[in-house]
Amino acid sequence: MTGAPLRLLLVDDDVLVRSGLRVILESEADLRVVGDAGTGQEALDVAARSDPDVVLMDVRMPDMDGIAATAALVARDPRRPRVLVLTTFEDDDYLFRALQAGASGFALKRADPDELVDAIRIVARGSSLVLPELTRRLIAAQVPRRRPRGPAALPDLTVREADVLRLVAGGLSNAEIAGQLHLSRETVKTHVSSVLLKLCARDRTQAVIAAYESGFMDTAG
Amino acid sequence: MISSVAVPWGGAPHPGAPIRVPRAGEPPGAPVGESLGRPVGHDRNVDPFQQFRAPGGRGRLRAVLAAARPGWPGRALYLLLSLPLALTYAALFAALVGSVVLVVQGVGLLLLLLLLAVTRGLAGVERRLTSALLGVELARGERVRAEPRVARRVQRLVLSPGTWRALGWLGVRVLLGTATLATLFFAVAAVVALSVQPPWNPLTAVPLLALVVVVVLVALVALELQARLAAAVVPRLLGAATEQRIAALQQTSRRLADRNRLARDLHDTIGHALTASLLQATAARRTLAPGRDDPLRPVPTDFARQALEHIESNTRTALAELDRALSVLRNDDGRSDGAGVPSGQPAGAAPSVADLEDLLAGLRDGGLPVALVVDGNVDDVPAALGELAYRVVQEGSTNVLRHAGCPLTVVQVVRSEQALVVRVCNERASSLDSRPGPGGGRGLAGLRERADAVGGTLVAGPTPTGGYELCATLPL
Repeated sequence: MTGAPLRLLLVDDDVLVRSGLRVILESEADLRVVGDAGTGQEALDVAARSDPDVVLMDVRMPDMDGIAATAALVARDPRRPRVLVLTTFEDDDYLFRALQAGASGFALKRADPDELVDAIRIVARGSSLVLPELTRRLIAAQVPRRRPRGPAALPDLTVREADVLRLVAGGLSNAEIAGQLHLSRETVKTHVSSVLLKLCARDRTQAVIAAYESGFMDTAG
Repeated sequence: MISSVAVPWGGAPHPGAPIRVPRAGEPPGAPVGESLGRPVGHDRNVDPFQQFRAPGGRGRLRAVLAAARPGWPGRALYLLLSLPLALTYAALFAALVGSVVLVVQGVGLLLLLLLLAVTRGLAGVERRLTSALLGVELARGERVRAEPRVARRVQRLVLSPGTWRALGWLGVRVLLGTATLATLFFAVAAVVALSVQPPWNPLTAVPLLALVVVVVLVALVALELQARLAAAVVPRLLGAATEQRIAALQQTSRRLADRNRLARDLHDTIGHALTASLLQATAARRTLAPGRDDPLRPVPTDFARQALEHIESNTRTALAELDRALSVLRNDDGRSDGAGVPSGQPAGAAPSVADLEDLLAGLRDGGLPVALVVDGNVDDVPAALGELAYRVVQEGSTNVLRHAGCPLTVVQVVRSEQALVVRVCNERASSLDSRPGPGGGRGLAGLRERADAVGGTLVAGPTPTGGYELCATLPL
C-alpha cells in the first residue's frame, strides 16, 4: 500500500447506491472517490478524465452495461484501472461474463463495508483473489458449461510455475502459497508474475479463468 | 476450499512429485473405485432371485392372476352396463343418421347439433365409468360449454376432434356390447343345452361337467378380453387429444416463462431497492457514528435525513412490487389448481387486455392514481398480442411507480383496423427524488425485442410536460 489514497470511480445506475457507497468509502482514510457514473458509457468518459485506480462497476445498466464497459476499459489499458464488479446476488448470470471481460474480482453490494473495502484494496494490490472461495467456485462452475474441455492449451510452464498456478486457482494468496511450497514470498511473487505474463493474464482472476478454460485444472485435479 | 486443496500438498514429500488433488468433498486418500463399486455389486447379488423367478411359467401365471383378480367386480359391472348402454348408443346412431337425412329439410341441423352435444355428454359419463370401474384415468375433455359465445360453442362442438372421437368410442361400445351380449347368450345357451339335452348318467356326468366348466371358462376369458380391449382402446378415443396435449404443454411452458420473468423482476426491483436502502442505511449510520467528525472529510450534514427519506420511499416501492409479484404467483396457482382445462385456444392461460383492469386495481391499491381507457373491440385480439399488450402496461405502470412515485397515470389501449396501440403515460414525477434513469426500466429492452418480433415498435421517453410515455404499436 502506497501513501497516496486509492482513487475510486463508482459506476451504478442507481444514484442512491452511488451516494451510499460514496459516504461509506470516503470514511476510509486510504480511499478517495474521484468520480461516479450512471451508465457504462459515462463511466468510460469519467474514467478517462479522473484516472481512477479501481472502478466499482455495476453490471446491469442502461446504455452500455458493466460487462461491455469493463471490456472497453481493459482494452484501453490492461494495467489501469482495475475493475471490481459489484453485484446484488452472487449467482448473477452476468457475474462470470464480467470476470471474463476482464474484471479483477467481484463483491456483493450487501457485503459488510469492511469486506468491501478489503476487496477494493485486494484488487488494487493484486496479491490474491477477491473472495477466493466464491471466485474459484464461480469460475469452476461456469467454465465447463460454457466451453467444452479443450486440450491443455496453456503455454509451457515450468513445474514450479504450474504448482503456483494450481494454488492460485485454488484461491491462495502469495503468503499462503509461500507457506505451502516452502518458498519466500518474493520468489512466489516472481513465479506469479511470470505465470501471468505467459498466460497473458492481467491479474490472478484472469489467470484462474485461463487455467480452467484450458482444461489445466481438470488434468491437474 | 482452501483446505481441500491444501491438505494433500502439506503431506507431499516433494513439490515436483506427481500428486492427485482430490476434488471437493472427496476424502483425501480414499480409493475412488472401491467406495463406489461395493454397494453396486452388493445390490446385484440380491436382485437376480426376483428377476429370474418372475419370468418363470408358474410365476407368470400367478402374477397374471394376481393382476387380474382385483377389480373384477368393476369389470363385470362395466361389461354388464355395456348391454343397456350399447342399446342407447345404437339408438343415438340411428337418430344421427335420421337427423342427417332430415338436414335436407333444415330441421335436422338443430337435432344434429343436439345429438353431438349429447355425444360429448355421454363421453363424459364414459370417462367417469372407465375411471371408476376399469381404473383407467383419463384427462377431462375440452369444455365446449365454457366457451363465451354460442357461435364459438357450436364451432368447437362440430370441429373439435374430441366430438368425433367420442362418437367413435360410442360406436366401439356398441360393438363391445354386442360382443358381450353374444358371449353371454352363447355361454348360457351352451350351459342350458348341456344340462338339458344329453342324457345324464354316471358315465357321461364327468365329461359333461368338464364341458360345462370349459364353456364357462371360455366365456369368462372372452369377457376378460373384452374388458381389456375396452381399457386399451378407451385412452385413444376419450383421452387427451393431441391438440389438447399441445395446449397443456404450451400452458406449462408459458407458466414457467412467467415464473422466470417474475424471478428476474424480483431480482431487478426488490433486490435493487433493498440494496440501495441497505447502502443508504449503512452510510447514514457512518455519518452519525461518534468520532467521525473528520474536518478533512466533511459529510453532508443533511445526509442521514435524506437517506432515511430515500429508504422510506424505496421500501414503499419495493413493497408495492412484492405485492404485485405475490399476486402474480397467487393467480398462477389459482389457474393451475382451478378450472385450468386446456382448450383449443387456452383462454385464461395468459393475461390479456381483459385482465388489465385487475392489474391496475392492484396498482391503485399501491397508491398510483391510474386510469384505463380502451378504444375499439379488443376481444378478438390474438392471444399473443393481448399478452404482449398486458406486459407493456405492466412494465410501464410499475416503472412509473418505481421511478416517478405516484403521479397521475393514464393507460390507453386503442384497437384500429391495422394495429393495437398501447400507451402508458404519466404526468410530471410526484416525488422529489424521482430517478428517471436513461432508457427507463430494464424490462423495456425485453419488451422492445418482443415488439420487434411481431413487427411492431416500442417507444419510451420523456414527454414535453415533464412526464414519461411508453408507447407500443403492435400490428394486427
